[in-house]
Amino acid sequence: MNAKNIFKLCVIGSVGMATLGLTLAFTASPADAHGERSQEPFLRMRTAQWYDTRWNPQKTNVNEEAMLSGKIHIAEDWPRAVVKPTRTFINVGSPSSVFTRLSSKVNGTPMFTSAGLELGGDYEYVIKLRGRLPGHHHIHPMLAVNGAGPIAGPGSWMDIEGNYKDFMNPAKLLVGGTVDTETAGLANGLFWHGLWGFLGFAWIGWFAIRPMFLIRARVLAQEGGDALLNDPVDRVVAVGMLGVVLILIAIGFYSAESKFPYTVPLQAGEPKIKATHLRSDLTIKVLNADYDVPGRALRMTLQVTNSGEEPLSIGEFTTAGIRFLNKVGVANNLDPGYPAEIMAVDGLHMEDESPIAPGETKEILLDSRDSLWEVQRLMDLVNDPEQRFGGLIMAWDEAGNRHINSIAAAIIPVFTRANAG
Amino acid sequence: MALFRTAEIIKASKLPPEGVKLSRMIDAVYFIPIAYLGVFATFHMHFDLLAGDWDFWIDWKDRQFWVTVTPIVEVMYPGAIMYYFWTFYRQPFGATVSITGLLVGKWITIVFAWYWWANFPMNFVMPATMISSALILDCTLLLTRSWMLTAIFGVWAFAMMFYPTQYAIFAYSKQPMVVDGQLLSLADYMGFSYVRTGTPEYIRIIEVGSLRTFGGHTVWISAFFSAFVSMLVFTIWWQIGHFVGQSFFWVKGRRGVMSRKNDTMLVGTDEFAVRHGDLAGRPLPAAATLAEGKS
Repeated sequence: MNAKNIFKLCVIGSVGMATLGLTLAFTASPADAHGERSQEPFLRMRTAQWYDTRWNPQKTNVNEEAMLSGKIHIAEDWPRAVVKPTRTFINVGSPSSVFTRLSSKVNGTPMFTSAGLELGGDYEYVIKLRGRLPGHHHIHPMLAVNGAGPIAGPGSWMDIEGNYKDFMNPAKLLVGGTVDTETAGLANGLFWHGLWGFLGFAWIGWFAIRPMFLIRARVLAQEGGDALLNDPVDRVVAVGMLGVVLILIAIGFYSAESKFPYTVPLQAGEPKIKATHLRSDLTIKVLNADYDVPGRALRMTLQVTNSGEEPLSIGEFTTAGIRFLNKVGVANNLDPGYPAEIMAVDGLHMEDESPIAPGETKEILLDSRDSLWEVQRLMDLVNDPEQRFGGLIMAWDEAGNRHINSIAAAIIPVFTRANAG
Repeated sequence: MALFRTAEIIKASKLPPEGVKLSRMIDAVYFIPIAYLGVFATFHMHFDLLAGDWDFWIDWKDRQFWVTVTPIVEVMYPGAIMYYFWTFYRQPFGATVSITGLLVGKWITIVFAWYWWANFPMNFVMPATMISSALILDCTLLLTRSWMLTAIFGVWAFAMMFYPTQYAIFAYSKQPMVVDGQLLSLADYMGFSYVRTGTPEYIRIIEVGSLRTFGGHTVWISAFFSAFVSMLVFTIWWQIGHFVGQSFFWVKGRRGVMSRKNDTMLVGTDEFAVRHGDLAGRPLPAAATLAEGKS
């Protein structure tokens, strides 16, 4: 390689670096979400069905409490390609620890460590948070499944105002007293790190003040060089250093033991969380379903039987945290705090919208149609290894009682307008 | 009387004064920007890949895996680096250079990555320190001048002193507390409290297995186990240091035969000629040249 080529490569490299630098300088902006749309549709539609998610309040101050709550239905039709949820953790999807988590309960059971969830089970979670880092943050509930990874629930924006310097996270100890988890043990840790670092660098420095490498190597290669390099003063210092180190270790250990006489090991248990189950007077069977790719619609033919005593009207189909509602759903279940970008308030259509009478069995053509299928990248279902979908269908009686059914079925894609039906 | 033997050593090196001055410049350039930064960068990466989480998070610092894994991983680089510094220079600071280098890297990461960038409090991600153990290891090598005795006694102490050293730093985090009717250590609560989206609780590898069955003395059983494995690992890495730290030349003799010479520091000196010339000690003939080299 001659000088000209090297120069050319330098110029190309410099231009590349400058381009990268300018790109970052002018176009870098905060991430708006956590990549949940990149998760495969079959993973989002057939594992955890999130509903009734609440971010409350959506504006807090540093040190104030907030709540992330909702329900998850663990799909009966859990995909074969995903590890079963035998060890899971209800987590919070957030950009770093913008909130601290004070408490997390699933069906009333504290979930400090991971637990197994039952397929077909229904779980209500309540996560108590405390505002820590000011900003505009996108927050998701998240089900982390050991072996499968995190499954993000719906995300919404939460604002924290105030000053981080005011933040405190007090923890009350069983033996009395309260510590702030932001600073507990910090000064002591820095002291010991500093002390050991000082001794370590002093030890290196002891040898660095004399010729270190070339001269010693030349001497060592000669007859008698090894003995010459074995300086008696180094041996004295080494004995002294050994003594100092052992004494300091003993002082540190025993002083910590006397300062903290009551300690417990890390807790590695597993809470046993009892599942509840969805209750519905409807029995729903998916007779067939297709996915209209150009029309951005999921259409299904359902055989619905009402075994209850009240007429029921279907009002919502929800999957992957995305909600498709009709007038019934809007009237009964429209949460104004739910993010509008993952909700289609006129996204659910039926040919026959009359209520299902008690004892009646009928076929319903249900059409959930909205650009959300594309925007939320659920249309990528056609690229999945298993062409099935899942979701929750919600129906209401006139008194406003909700009946929820979990459905799942095979789905056929319809690729062109010509056979879109 | 001089404190050190420096004058004698310089004299024995047979370097002229300008050579001595140059060697000190080489010491500075080679040791700090090359050797030290190289060790801290590579050892840091090596350690974080093999034992990172136990060292990152306060709620991973258990009595079993933290105590077992950390010394085993932390003795690897020192084994190779000690070989290099000791064998070629008789410098007994290989372990201390490695471990302080690791900690320099770790603290840079803690301050800039964990605290400044990711907003975790520093106490939550504070690393363990094994400088005490490294000093024991280096002192043992200096005093015994035997890598085998260092592997047996020094490395044993290296691993056994791990937990007592850390206890002074982390004992506070083992204090009990009760949250929602559950007993937790403060470390557990901190791990729960600071949300880690990509690190759910089940990722923790803590307190599982049967090492605790010996009367509940989990720490010391783990430490003993770690010490024995560390001895083996140290020995292997000392040999890795030997393998990658070889320095030799291939020399072409009068009859055209290539032979390997290990005493590279003497190449070009009279002593080299004495050693590798003919039996009478005559210098190498002009035909004998350094054909190729590797270091």
